[in-house]
Amino acid sequence: MLFHDRATALGSIAGVVAIIFLVGQQLTIFFGLLSYMSILVDNSGADIWVKTKNTDNFNAAGTIPTSYRDRIMGIRGIQWAEPIVIGAGLLKLQNGNYQAVQVFGTRRPRLAGGPSQFYQGSIEGLFDSEGVTVDRLDLSILNYPSIGDLFEVNGKRVRIRGITQGMRGFSGTVLYTNLAKARELVNMSADRCSNLLIKVDDGMSIKDMALLLKQVLPKADAIPSSELSRQTKLYYLQNTGIGFSFGFTTLVGTLVGVVIIALTMYTNVLSKTKDYAVLRALGARRKDVLYIVFMQSMYIAAIGILVGFTLLSLFLTFTRGTDLPSYMPWWVPLIHLTGTVLLCLLGSVIAMRRAVRIEPATAFR
Amino acid sequence: MQDIKSKPVIELRGVARDFFDGKQLRRVLQKTDLGIYPGEFSIISGPSGSGKTTLLTIMALILSPSEGYVIIQDKDVTKLPEDSLAALRLEHYGFVFQNAGLINALTVMENVLIASVVQGGSVSKEIQERAVAILERLGLMDYAYIKSERLSGGQKQRAAIGRALINEPAIILCDEPTSALDVESSTVVMETLKELSREDRAVVLVSHDPRVFPYGDRLIQLQDGKVVTDTGSQIVT
Repeated sequence: MLFHDRATALGSIAGVVAIIFLVGQQLTIFFGLLSYMSILVDNSGADIWVKTKNTDNFNAAGTIPTSYRDRIMGIRGIQWAEPIVIGAGLLKLQNGNYQAVQVFGTRRPRLAGGPSQFYQGSIEGLFDSEGVTVDRLDLSILNYPSIGDLFEVNGKRVRIRGITQGMRGFSGTVLYTNLAKARELVNMSADRCSNLLIKVDDGMSIKDMALLLKQVLPKADAIPSSELSRQTKLYYLQNTGIGFSFGFTTLVGTLVGVVIIALTMYTNVLSKTKDYAVLRALGARRKDVLYIVFMQSMYIAAIGILVGFTLLSLFLTFTRGTDLPSYMPWWVPLIHLTGTVLLCLLGSVIAMRRAVRIEPATAFR
Repeated sequence: MQDIKSKPVIELRGVARDFFDGKQLRRVLQKTDLGIYPGEFSIISGPSGSGKTTLLTIMALILSPSEGYVIIQDKDVTKLPEDSLAALRLEHYGFVFQNAGLINALTVMENVLIASVVQGGSVSKEIQERAVAILERLGLMDYAYIKSERLSGGQKQRAAIGRALINEPAIILCDEPTSALDVESSTVVMETLKELSREDRAVVLVSHDPRVFPYGDRLIQLQDGKVVTDTGSQIVT
């Protein structure tokens, strides 16, 4: 009955597509940005980060003594502990302009916390004393440099030895290099480092080890990577307005979709009042009419979801590898799908309420 | 000329109906005693507002009477819950509405079949064969698989008769089925209904068109909610 009225059916389907695509697209960008926020932590391969006390996220950390490493290595259950250096730098472009970068130094030979995905070159490039990597997504703002090209960062020479893939920080271009070079670039002495990355032995409780490290290093903070990742994301969400912005857009997208579904479904029931009354007169119960409207909303949901997710997957395909951060964790589509089905039902509630009130006597008027 | 059937398929005992018109309670159907018999073609007539449709919808178990009882097959069904009344309608009644009341989104065949599955379930092979037989009988088989909105007015009413027949009801209730039809189509529809009433079914038709009166076995005339004429059955034993 619904699909006979093509305009109404298309209107309802458009509502579902709006929810799936608009909200989904917002979510992919949101999760893309979210992954950027903590990518350095998530990609570090460490179980625990040791950092200065009283800081909300790893980017805001100060420095700690490198000698902490020796104390940590003496603890049973520690597989390795590696210092890293994180700092700000200004990269001088070949055209004379400057680009702000985040320098991330990792110690040779383990290169713990270093980049794992490469577009060109490999992590071995960081063994080169002046070797750095830049990310593929930053090539345009760096005027498309090639492997082997020389640059200046904070007035010191660096050479591009690798181009990473998807290793881009939230605050911009990340320049991976070795620890010595990083210290030179950000002017940090050898007895200091930004953090210590800790890997614990298999089977060891990360949480317990973090607590133990806090006792061993009372002037520092030891925090599991998963917790630091969460804290970092939360910090940016709360302090940059991103959470509110995306949350608001998602809410508006959802509301628009629900209103479209509700209006079109309701209009459809109103325009088909006589048909429902005839069915009631023929012997349909209220619950049978309810079932018809329910099934119609489910058909609308199914078609809308199919179209919406097709558009969304096209969006993800076309934005993959571009400047636009887009990432969808596997569980998000499931929640999105379930939520949309529920919203379709919510949108049809008014129509259902109207439909069950139709009296069979209407067929005789 | 006397009714050959002793047992009515529907019996109204002292049935009356009041409506609240916003200011006061108004009696639109006065106390009425009426029996409708199988094989009988009854025509209910009267001017607008005389209570014809009210009487028909009470017979149809759609409107409950304010007073009195509705008896179906010796059972008082007046106070039955809504779902039980719906089940009774499905089992015992066929309906032909003014302007047919077909669902435009469905084909003619689907319109006929839907009456058998309005409470869910699937269409059995037997029902499908019955639908084909009905449409053949009504001369609509060539139109079975086209959307009902493409039919002419007369064809729509014949399709509606087909829908009314699919559950093999004992009673067919018709609400002004010829009001929107030309003379030729009206004749076909009335002759079909007359033929059906000869198959041991009770056919009750509401109309204010005197041209349909000759088709009836019985004429019940209403005025101001009151039966003023009831010719009784004209069927000869």
